[in-house]
Amino acid sequence: MKKQLSRRDFLKLSGMFGSIALAPSLGQAPRFSFAPQGIEPQGDMLVVVFLRGAIDALNAVVPHAESRYYDLRPELAIPEPKMDNDQTAIDLDGFFSLHPALRPLKDLWDEQSLAIVHAVGSPHETHSHFDAQDYMESGTPGTKLDSGWVGRHLQSAPWLNDSPFRAIGMGGVLQSAMRGTVPVTTLRSIADFHLQGRPKSLAEMQQNMASIYALGSPLDALAAETFSAVNTLSQVDVSNYTPEGGAEYPESDFANDMQQVAQIIKSDIEMEVACVDFGGWDTHNQQGVIDGTFATLLSQLATAISAFYRDLGSRAQKVTLVTMSEFGRRAYENGSGGTDHGHGGLMMLLGGNVNGGKIYTDWPGLAEENLYGPGDLAVTTDFRDVLSEVLLKRLANPNQHNVFPDYANWKDLGILRSG
Amino acid sequence: MTKNLSRRDFFKTSGIFAAATALAACQPSTEVTEQTFPTLAPVPDSSPAPLPAETLDDEALLRHTLKRISFGVTPAMLAHARSIGLDAYIEEQLSPEKHDNTALEKDVSNFATLSMTPKERFELEKYAQPIVELIGATLLRQWRSESQLYEVMADFWTNHFNIYLAKNPCRVLKADDDRDVIRAHTFGKFAEILSASAHSPAMLTYLDQATSTKRAPNENYARELLELHTLGVDGGYTHEDILELARVLTGWSATGFRDTFREQGQFTFRVRAHDDGQKQVMGMVVPAGERQAGGEMVLEMLASHRMTAQFISTKLARRFVADDPPASLISKLTQVFSDTEGDTKEMLRTLLKSDEFKASAGQKIKRPLEFFISALRVTGAEIKRTPRALTEHLRNMGQVPFSWSPPTGFPDYADWWTTTSGMLNRWNFALLLTGGMVQGVELDLKALTTDAASAQDVVDVLSIRFLGEKLPDNARDILVDYAAADLEKTLPEVAGLILGSPHFQMR
Repeated sequence: MKKQLSRRDFLKLSGMFGSIALAPSLGQAPRFSFAPQGIEPQGDMLVVVFLRGAIDALNAVVPHAESRYYDLRPELAIPEPKMDNDQTAIDLDGFFSLHPALRPLKDLWDEQSLAIVHAVGSPHETHSHFDAQDYMESGTPGTKLDSGWVGRHLQSAPWLNDSPFRAIGMGGVLQSAMRGTVPVTTLRSIADFHLQGRPKSLAEMQQNMASIYALGSPLDALAAETFSAVNTLSQVDVSNYTPEGGAEYPESDFANDMQQVAQIIKSDIEMEVACVDFGGWDTHNQQGVIDGTFATLLSQLATAISAFYRDLGSRAQKVTLVTMSEFGRRAYENGSGGTDHGHGGLMMLLGGNVNGGKIYTDWPGLAEENLYGPGDLAVTTDFRDVLSEVLLKRLANPNQHNVFPDYANWKDLGILRSG
Repeated sequence: MTKNLSRRDFFKTSGIFAAATALAACQPSTEVTEQTFPTLAPVPDSSPAPLPAETLDDEALLRHTLKRISFGVTPAMLAHARSIGLDAYIEEQLSPEKHDNTALEKDVSNFATLSMTPKERFELEKYAQPIVELIGATLLRQWRSESQLYEVMADFWTNHFNIYLAKNPCRVLKADDDRDVIRAHTFGKFAEILSASAHSPAMLTYLDQATSTKRAPNENYARELLELHTLGVDGGYTHEDILELARVLTGWSATGFRDTFREQGQFTFRVRAHDDGQKQVMGMVVPAGERQAGGEMVLEMLASHRMTAQFISTKLARRFVADDPPASLISKLTQVFSDTEGDTKEMLRTLLKSDEFKASAGQKIKRPLEFFISALRVTGAEIKRTPRALTEHLRNMGQVPFSWSPPTGFPDYADWWTTTSGMLNRWNFALLLTGGMVQGVELDLKALTTDAASAQDVVDVLSIRFLGEKLPDNARDILVDYAAADLEKTLPEVAGLILGSPHFQMR
């Protein structure tokens, strides 16, 4: 059977394991060259932040000018914007406003680096977190696939990149969006990403372990990917990291993940995509208004993203960040001070080539007859429209039909600049 | 179209792996006790590997079965199973009341919060103590219990009826759920464990049922009851069924959790919060005025529903046989479920004696918890309690018990766990453990190898102890070469390499 030469085969052929270098103390950052010359990766580095549990879009980006919002949420509604009052929403365009806990995002909005898409989501009707996440990450609503949209992007992109950090899953997790034939390195902590054990025997150990995993077991490919990543990361100085631009990352798992993504981006190890999870958004119960569970989550999100963007400095020109969530929440609040599973939701895009400072929406409204199913914000923008634009304009991958099959007639909303 | 073979394909094609192992076992050979990894080739996704009828010889079947029904096969287990025979051993494992776990339970009783009331746990100065101790007790039992199959099934139901321990107030309620729902019904009938779970304050608060009222029903528990606990996501219910079930269950609540546990955390039915009108769930009419009995009716209907039988059977087969279990086995188990009201023991008997099970060697990878506990079991490690350092390793691997926050429970398929960081964490735990660098754990590798005079002996003795059999020649040669340099000095690393090898990652 004819077989393409994969990175794994390449590693086997080149006998890379014969020359293991464990953290040589280099005076300067090493140059890496994973991509064969002439077909280097094109396009931006993509960071996908998945807000798991379904973010309450209506309380994050508030349609304060629609009075019906206040009827649907007598207890939970965010007060409409008032100047110099930080207990009210922050006006964006006279109709929509930000939850006050998203304050750090307002600066990015004013700089026109941040765009918001509202009433966006999957056309599939499911209210199951797990099904909705599957469909959204596979990029094929209603059809379960073994591959994800990011995975198919990497597979179909017209260039080669053998860096083990081409695709990284933060939190040590392989997000299902990344499933496919291109290997993904999962990472929890850069500093701990090396072989441990009795120090004297480590180099020898790595070689022995590599040999044992080169005998035809089902885990051999994974082991080769792991060693390749260990070796690459061993040459990145992780101990003395100082964020740029006065960026201050807050103390949270999500911020920690974002800081490490920034670190990898700045290490020039040919990262193309990083997927970061941020869970806890399933606020059925006592989600709070100005303070409380939901506000805390929003604050963690905004402070971390904002620090990340400052930290990137001029590299922000080559980075696009997109947030997504499996669906929004019910327009009506429930009786437990929370919100149940809904439909239309929220996406945010951040980057040096985002046409920011603008809300992109075909707002369906919250009148009873405009709600979807059991009382949800309707979906008027398909999430694949947004991601197709990212793919074509910022990731330089023309193969939209591979990434989002059966969705050729996607709609260009003009959220991003090309090139 | 040519296709690169990803590692994920490997697990799909692992039927071939098992078949080839089986073929090897059928050939007259003096080396039948060795495992080999055959060369795998991709097969079209649509063609399932044929099941060989007779697959393993008795000894190989015994080892295969013991691996799947335990958290790690110790020499003592293996010797006992060999002496009484596999069938008798399975029966013995299905009768945990006959096992002597006195010393273990005495140690478990040192975790004082297990026997406290929710109110007492709530009032503790150390906020995390109930969390730490329930995790500790669970690991201790998995590590040391004679009733290994019982512990494997307790873990199965813990994940099926998953509750996130760190969510308040589950922190103080889950220990009761663990004792009265999971462990009390681990080998029981499905209707019993489902009913116990539906009356469990920990479950009702975890999925927001406890605050659901007639005025504003909360549909979270109703949805997961259908999607995750009984029918499965493709079980044929509609959104309307979820809303109706949420109405049926209004008033199902718990005491104490809303204040400071002035009342004990017990199940209660709040009549005033209950919607007493007529409802209809999955075609079943719940007449007006039934109150709590209406919920009980629906639970009984769900427990015996054909889709529930199929869903539970699929999950059980996935746990014990393969990530994508054969339809023929699911169908057999579904029949047993329907015939026996979901009797767990009867389903396990059928499963463990099925041809599909016998043909499934090499098709399951250990999850981190199984890897972790089995490494402790086979090395004869000594742990007095469960120090934080030990659970930290498990945390790095991503599988501390009760720490999965969504209601799905920890995934039970290889794709989720076969990641680069997952691989690295396994190697690191293996090397740190055998290198004597895991805090709070003592290990005497020398005592395991007293009779080993040569490098070959050392490698073989350790392999047989850790894997139940010798390593295949090619892997064995690598270790023998390494050990030969200095038997004593290399001992920890040789042991670590065996625990880190692909052979030890398989269940």
